[in-house]
Amino acid sequence: MKRRYLAVMGLLVIMAMVLAACGGGAATEAPAAPAEPAAQEAAPTEAPAAEAAPTEAPAAEEAPAEAAAPSGDVVTLTWVGPGPGGEFEFRKQQAAEWNAANPDIQINLIEGPVSATDRIGLYLQAFQAQSTDIDIMQIDVIWPGDLADNLIDFNEYGGAEAVAGDFPAIVQNNTVDGRLVGLPWFTDGGLLYYRTDLLEKYGFAGPPATWTELEEMSQTIQDGERAEGNQDFWGYVWQGAPYEGLTCDALEWVYSSGGGTIVSPEKVITINNDAASAALDRAYSWIGKISPPGVTGFMEEDSRAVWHAGNAAFMRNWPYAYGLSQNDDSAVVGKFDATALPGAEAGQSAATLGGWQVGVSKYSKYPEAAAKVALWLASEEQQKAQALSPNSLIPTKMALYEDPDIAAQREFMPKLLPVFTSAVARPSTATAPQYNEVSNIFFSNVYDVLTGKQSGADAVANIEIDLEDLTGFEVGAP
Amino acid sequence: MANAKGQSSDLAKQEQRLAYWLLAPTFIILLAIAIYPLISVFGYSFTNATFASNKPTEFVGLDNYRNLLSMTIVQVPPLIDEATGQIQVDAETGEVQYESSVRALPREPVRFRVVTDFSLFGNKYVLGATDPAFIRAVWDTIVFGVSTVFLELVLGMMVALIVNANFKGRGFMRALILVPWVIPTAVSSQIWEYMFQPNRTGFFNTVLWYLGMGSGEIPFLSDPTWQLPAMIVIDVWKTTPFMALLLLAGLQLIPADIYEAADVDGAGPVRSFFQLTLPLLKGTIAVALVFRTLDALRVFDLFQIVLGQARYSMASFTYYELIQNRAMGYSSASSIMIFLVLSIFAIGYMRSLGVKSDDH
Repeated sequence: MKRRYLAVMGLLVIMAMVLAACGGGAATEAPAAPAEPAAQEAAPTEAPAAEAAPTEAPAAEEAPAEAAAPSGDVVTLTWVGPGPGGEFEFRKQQAAEWNAANPDIQINLIEGPVSATDRIGLYLQAFQAQSTDIDIMQIDVIWPGDLADNLIDFNEYGGAEAVAGDFPAIVQNNTVDGRLVGLPWFTDGGLLYYRTDLLEKYGFAGPPATWTELEEMSQTIQDGERAEGNQDFWGYVWQGAPYEGLTCDALEWVYSSGGGTIVSPEKVITINNDAASAALDRAYSWIGKISPPGVTGFMEEDSRAVWHAGNAAFMRNWPYAYGLSQNDDSAVVGKFDATALPGAEAGQSAATLGGWQVGVSKYSKYPEAAAKVALWLASEEQQKAQALSPNSLIPTKMALYEDPDIAAQREFMPKLLPVFTSAVARPSTATAPQYNEVSNIFFSNVYDVLTGKQSGADAVANIEIDLEDLTGFEVGAP
Repeated sequence: MANAKGQSSDLAKQEQRLAYWLLAPTFIILLAIAIYPLISVFGYSFTNATFASNKPTEFVGLDNYRNLLSMTIVQVPPLIDEATGQIQVDAETGEVQYESSVRALPREPVRFRVVTDFSLFGNKYVLGATDPAFIRAVWDTIVFGVSTVFLELVLGMMVALIVNANFKGRGFMRALILVPWVIPTAVSSQIWEYMFQPNRTGFFNTVLWYLGMGSGEIPFLSDPTWQLPAMIVIDVWKTTPFMALLLLAGLQLIPADIYEAADVDGAGPVRSFFQLTLPLLKGTIAVALVFRTLDALRVFDLFQIVLGQARYSMASFTYYELIQNRAMGYSSASSIMIFLVLSIFAIGYMRSLGVKSDDH
């Protein structure tokens, strides 16, 4: 009988391990993050006495950052940067530049996950463990509300003056209960890319101003191109997979039809209205007609692939696609432009606000030093450098849109200024810390409309009921 | 064995004691890395803990389980024409029109959402659940698990029998069949995702289009009817080699002279497969099935990479609840449910296949 007992125990243990793998949340261990010793090796020779004793950290906090003596202790900060790629290369240069100029504060830049979902997972695990391993981090525009508990308030470190020249909408987005938890770093907004050569070929004077015009132009161009033998040609590609990107696209349809922003900044659920349901039904009508049936599985890169190969007349995408579409391997080099998305009526255009902020962890050992680095990273000078880098990141400082270098080398930026200033924010701050759930309810229901499982009217009614249950907010008109 | 029972010598006892001492470190480690998290997850499942937040945690009893599992079936009333008092009938199809299923389900004290509609004896019913995503995830995972394991067993057996036969280049073939198993799931999932592209850049759409089937635009991964079959195809491709390997090991234990004897007695290949190979392979098959079923029911990477939030497995649902919704208590409860589902399957297998944990 003993052996049977052992076998049963063994089985239980295997299952427990299964469970341990599934329920990772229970583990209180911090995620493997770079250890400090590695950074200490990089300490400059000017500070031989550098022992970075944690007990001396408060001293660094009390002293004004500028006055930190070069002979004092060296503070080493960990910055979780972007994932591997072009932007990381640029960040590496920035870190080297800072380290050369500031021997007393050294930055150790590490690669973060490429996917935003994985990135927030990493942050949350570090926060759950109150880990001091991460000091500086980049924060998506929808996260300040969710992460505010775990981030420092930049107002205590001169943040208010620093963000005076930024877009007010982004500053407001990053301010949670009066605390400035993120410094605007670069921004993003949904754009309509269009093929200038095809518009000319089919006799259209300019890009569409309304959704109806977009439908007509798409149909005409698609029919014409297919008649000429390109069976794979489609009128309009966008993002229809059930993920955060669909929330962005659908918010643009709804808002540009006068249907509000799902939940208003005043915490009122506004989604259940005729304009919103009509906007969703309209999007459903595109599928299989001017948009490929597979669009309900498309993320940004899937739509860009169709566009890049020259198989779409119009595309909804973020500014990053601009630079990439001008690459040598693109079929649309010199044949396209970007403009504001259409609206239900001309001038009703809406672009969902995207972009990233710099934040500092509340659990950092050296918040003062980290805040100083963050302020430098988000400064006008550095924003200009990143705009002129190959990644062409869109500045959040209004003054840069009048900068002669940017006007000369990144001419689309000043041209699209109105798009970025009028961008509509997702209701992330109003619904924090439940924004992810709100977004999930929204895009799942929209996805059911796109796949024909429910009508737009049912969808907005369902979203309203679900949001009432989740948030307890009032219901009202947009 | 029987004669040693009850009267084991001092030496045997000593050996036994040594065995326990040698096992002790393993058990201590398992206690720390497996039993402790298990208990802690179990504890969290009765709270409303939020992941990485300062929000105070409260004990909520069985609420998480109730929200995961509550289901109900409600009859959907037909629409009544207010003018005539008659049941409304669609003028074109002649079908009875019903009230919206969403409205038919209760909202208090917790809201039930639609899982599916069905008709029985001329009435329309709606199956509702407080968390349809979880119910769907459990159902999808079980369908996925059962179909992949069955297909892998059949195909794996065929492959194992082939590479068990004597032919030139057998060693090379044995190595070759392992290729899909060697590729990391993250990579193979991505490869298959490209092959399933919803236009003619995708392999399957191109091939089907040339064969005159489909429009060349089949959205395999976003159309709900195709999603699960696509997942099953990917997993069968990937894991059949593993199954074949396990079965091959079992086949090699069967002595060749049994087959010679069967041959002399006039049994054909089909008969000797069903009367010799299969019974002798029973133990191996049982082990392989337990391994594969438990593995398939825990599937995470494939679903997470290929389908994301379009459709969940039990494990990717749990991950989503923890990381995206930050619902630590709720995701702990769903982990416990995975544990229970796996236990049911494991015990079921041990019973039905007669796997004995000891040889008395």
